Amino acid sequence: MRIADLSSFNEARERGLAKLLPSHPRVTVGMGTCGTGNGAEAVYQAFSDQFDQRGFSVKLARTGCFGFCAEEPLVNVWLPGKPVVILHRVQASDAAAIVDDLAASRVPAELALCKVEEWDHITGHIKYGSGYPDIPDWSQVPFFKGQKKIVLRHCGLINPDDIEEALAVGTYSALYKVLIDANPDAVIEAIKAAKLRGRGGAGYQTGIKWEFLRKAKAEKKYIICNADEGDPGAYMNRNEIESDPHSLLEGMIIGGYVTGCQEGIVYVRAEYPLAVHRLQEAVEQATEYGLLGQNILGRGFNFHIRLVEGAGAFVCGEETALIRSLEGKAGRPTPRPPYPAQSGLYGYPTNINNVETWYNIAPIVIKGPAWFTETGSPKSPGTKVFSLVGKVVSTGLVEMPLGTPLKNFVYDVGGGAPGGRTVKSVQTGGPSGGCIPQEMFDVAVDYESLAQLGSIMGSGGMVVMDEDNCMVDVARYFVEFTHSESCGKCIPCRSGLDQALRMLNAVTHGKATEKELVLLDELSRMIRDCSLCGLGQTAPNPVLTTMRHFRHEFEDHIRARRCRAGVCEDLALSPCENSCPLHMNIPRFLELVKEDRLEEAFMSVVLDNPLPASTGRVCQHPCDNRCRRAGIDEAVNMRDVHRYIADSIYGSDRYEAIAAQVVANKKPPTGKRVAIVGAGPTGLACAWYCALFGHEVVIYDSNAQAGGMLRYAIPEYRLPKATLDWEIDLIRRMGVEFVFNCQVGKEISLNDLGAQYDAVFLAIGTWKENWVYLPGTELEGVIPALPFLEGVAKGHTLPLGRKVAVIGGGNAAIDSARTALRLGADVTIIYRRERKDMPAIAEETEAAEAEGAKIVFLATPHRIVGNAEGKVSAIEVAKTRLGEFDKSGRRRPITTDEIQRLACDTVILAVGEAVDIDFAKASGLKIKESGLIEVDRYSLETSRPNFYAGGDLISGASNVSNAMGYGKRAARYIDLRLTGVKRWKDLLPEFQISQTVPAHPSESPRHHAREVPAGQRCRSFTEAVVGLAPVEAMEESCRCLRCDIRNGD
Amino acid sequence: MPSKISIRIDGELVHARLGQTILEVAAENNKPIPSLCSMKGLRPVGACRLCLVQVEGLGRMLPACTTPVQDGMSVTTDNAKLRGYRQMIIELLLAERNHVCAVCVANGHCELQTAAAKLGVMNTRYAYRYPNHKVDLSHSRFTLDHNRCILCSRCVRACAEVEGAHVWEIGGRGIGSLLVCELNRTWGESKHCTACGKCVQSCPTGALAEKGFAVEEMTKKPEPVSRIAAFREVRP
Repeated sequence: MRIADLSSFNEARERGLAKLLPSHPRVTVGMGTCGTGNGAEAVYQAFSDQFDQRGFSVKLARTGCFGFCAEEPLVNVWLPGKPVVILHRVQASDAAAIVDDLAASRVPAELALCKVEEWDHITGHIKYGSGYPDIPDWSQVPFFKGQKKIVLRHCGLINPDDIEEALAVGTYSALYKVLIDANPDAVIEAIKAAKLRGRGGAGYQTGIKWEFLRKAKAEKKYIICNADEGDPGAYMNRNEIESDPHSLLEGMIIGGYVTGCQEGIVYVRAEYPLAVHRLQEAVEQATEYGLLGQNILGRGFNFHIRLVEGAGAFVCGEETALIRSLEGKAGRPTPRPPYPAQSGLYGYPTNINNVETWYNIAPIVIKGPAWFTETGSPKSPGTKVFSLVGKVVSTGLVEMPLGTPLKNFVYDVGGGAPGGRTVKSVQTGGPSGGCIPQEMFDVAVDYESLAQLGSIMGSGGMVVMDEDNCMVDVARYFVEFTHSESCGKCIPCRSGLDQALRMLNAVTHGKATEKELVLLDELSRMIRDCSLCGLGQTAPNPVLTTMRHFRHEFEDHIRARRCRAGVCEDLALSPCENSCPLHMNIPRFLELVKEDRLEEAFMSVVLDNPLPASTGRVCQHPCDNRCRRAGIDEAVNMRDVHRYIADSIYGSDRYEAIAAQVVANKKPPTGKRVAIVGAGPTGLACAWYCALFGHEVVIYDSNAQAGGMLRYAIPEYRLPKATLDWEIDLIRRMGVEFVFNCQVGKEISLNDLGAQYDAVFLAIGTWKENWVYLPGTELEGVIPALPFLEGVAKGHTLPLGRKVAVIGGGNAAIDSARTALRLGADVTIIYRRERKDMPAIAEETEAAEAEGAKIVFLATPHRIVGNAEGKVSAIEVAKTRLGEFDKSGRRRPITTDEIQRLACDTVILAVGEAVDIDFAKASGLKIKESGLIEVDRYSLETSRPNFYAGGDLISGASNVSNAMGYGKRAARYIDLRLTGVKRWKDLLPEFQISQTVPAHPSESPRHHAREVPAGQRCRSFTEAVVGLAPVEAMEESCRCLRCDIRNGD
Repeated sequence: MPSKISIRIDGELVHARLGQTILEVAAENNKPIPSLCSMKGLRPVGACRLCLVQVEGLGRMLPACTTPVQDGMSVTTDNAKLRGYRQMIIELLLAERNHVCAVCVANGHCELQTAAAKLGVMNTRYAYRYPNHKVDLSHSRFTLDHNRCILCSRCVRACAEVEGAHVWEIGGRGIGSLLVCELNRTWGESKHCTACGKCVQSCPTGALAEKGFAVEEMTKKPEPVSRIAAFREVRP
């Protein structure tokens, strides 16, 4: 068995090839720890049983992992002369059908992920065969596109427990070459010329390190492989060892030979039992084959490798601590110098390289440094394996050339965030790394570029985060990790991290001050600059980068006591309350309905939200996305319950009495006067609370009635104006005065308002329709959406044709389309992206389609065609295809040459709205470049004292509940400024409700509001959706899980 | 390479011998650099980070106690940044355990107290941790009060390197690190302690003290320990 010369080497290779490409089918199951965790063991057993039962001649083997974790378990099937087909998400129950297929010389196409016709093993080349035109090649699968497998060259294709298969793909041929050439200096020169840098994270040149060791004179030298992979979320090294242990040994033996060292040690985590087992097996086999031990390959070189299992201390990944650990001492780092190359293990010269560094040696030896530097960036050649995990569709091990932009990892390979969410940040380098914000995803992933952003590449962890991740909590999590893994030797790391953790905990609990934030920043810098070893020096990186790139999140926690992601539980009542822009106490009104206390429920709702019936109809209901009930079946229908509450009080005989009770909550008059410009949702919300506080409130509006967009943009069939009138009546009863037909800038100036009132709140909506500049917009029959909707709402007769094209995908587009349908037109909506990218409420889009609107996706207007009279006769649209991901995390539509013509006589443009900012010019208000008014993010104060602004004016076009949220917040800060007292908490009455978590929440499915059948509603402006019936609302309330209760049992 | 070299310390040209550390050369030339964990005769560990200095041409700061001098080196031992960091280190130390000078046996003779005074640290901006540590009075002659320990490990090294008894070690990790006697015995139960008192004399604070002394009465004399250590070094 011992290989002593070329012919025996080749014989072993041939035997291996016969196993890889046998004369009968070969089936391999990916059985790394990841595959096994996903049930690969059962799959393997099922195949084994099937083959035994049928007496089928097949080569069944266990392999490592091919890297596509999200699609595990992976099974490779190969029929002689055909490509290897990789099957994904294979279950044990699939085995019988797969074996049936194999028996008939077929592959199961429905399970096929991709095929491999030939594989470049770098050190060898295997041609499997060709065929299966319907199955994509592996390189065409988005997850693999752009990947270059140098380190992972054998992973998932060979049996790691069989040295002959490793030999077949060229493992140990580099060793053979090095031993035959017998020129160690040339090898070191080649490694230096390849500019291979340490893959453990520090990025020091491997060739130079080897040269130090080679030159060191000592009776003994050691080389060590650092396989103490401890970063949370990183598992590259584990997979490499599990899938291909022999390439690691080969790298180390070559290293030993060229540096004049006879003993190698692999320091591997004890938590990786499979890696330890396979590596142990590989060492035994290599020794048996004469590739390790005495007189390797008959060339007189002796080299031994032993395994040491680390006890799992993170700090033992630091080289000096690792050496102490090997010596049997406590794993605490020591200062360098002396460097391990001078005095390492037991005082002898020692070289330590990361697992992945060793895997790069054989390819460089075989292919040469010039080949190696072709890949990657000039300063950092080659590839790096990353574990891409977190909020991406396709998770797994990704080997990419260094210098690849980060966005390629997240969007192309990872496929973006699942469920249409938006990726917010990527954390690279584990606890030592930092968070890179989405705006900076163009950064090249290499040592220097990431360092510039305050992060590190580290060993290759890449955790993708979306808007559900709180960046303060992320920083806190990593500091908690390093804090508990600190060895305790030096003060900055031991005591500094402890203090940093305290401060971060205070931030997440809403107990920190801005002063502490400054101290935290100072402390983090000190820990970074003063710590003894790499652990402490890099531990503050997560804090420093999040403070640098996500400062607003820290400020939200400190100034507004809010965690937008809803992660920090102390800062929110419940997930629904946290997601509501008005922060309505949702569990409270649900409980009141459940307890059949409808009048109190109304009180609770209306004091949280002065327009409960309107928002109950038109809100975007962000609460649905956060409801924990969705984890069981569907979210609680909170929006329709508060619509029900409001609807059952308005217009009932109880109204008068309840209205009086609501108004009774008003505080005594303060004598302060507040002017509000704009009677839309923002202005009304602010007015309501200012009036509740006891201030005198006057609203100015250019229209003849209150409601703003609610009255003039949202069509009658969504929000009946009679309902809106009830709500405005209650606001009037609270003491709010209205001045209509009065436009600020014309009838009254801002300066007059400033002189007459103690505070002025500007809440003007986005009434200016954006215009698209394309040929034909001057034609008769092209109308902007908002004036169209406004005209209909005011009862004007509009020159609407019979065939209407609506351009856009927002709520205004859908409203226009459904209104046009009701006016008897035939409607087509043209949207440039896909359905899931539409900003409109999904239910609205579906309703529009049910009513007969056609939607053309992936099309953008090219030109509008007119007839001889100057009227619209058709619209030409260009098909779009989806390109790269843009800053919004959606794929950018790219216009193609494919033009389609749609006949129409009216075109409604609904491509977005803007604020008409003219009134604010020369008023002393600072206006941002975006055309929005600059305000303090928390107090909403403008640059002019006593002037506040909110709603669309500062955020751009948004939705009703967001707008009202601003109004509510402005009232709070206006009152604070006017009275100097924090009165918000005392404003609202307490409600006594049950504080027990329901033992058996209702098992009923979600109750949906009933839609009037499409055929009935599509020609009428009467309300299209009928609210919940009392019994439904009650049952819906019983579905709530009461996340607001703490420490309940 | 010449055994005599010259380096600059805070701009001043001074002579040094190869193999000396920056801390030693600075002390010889009357430019003391604050430090707590280093003690003459004991192997430096670079744990307290008070002696960090800036070396021209290097981005990061280096501990003076473990960095050997090199010919032509230019060292800055004091500037606003270094002072700021040193103050923070003292603040962190003061917040870490229960350092109550007024009732301390070493009050007035404490290196931590002296360093704080020299660096102008009057209070700490960090939250006191108030850990609940015990006092070990089991030894017939000495006391160990963890509340005053700064984990400098001078006792550990004095016992191991000079006395050769290996009584002390630092156990636990991170903020939970604690000085332990042998395999977590009380000092009185120690099998190897020779009661020589070298650890007590090496301790920079009142953590290790001799029985029979009241507040302010315990002065430490580390010099004899250093002298014995020097004899050990010349032996073959």
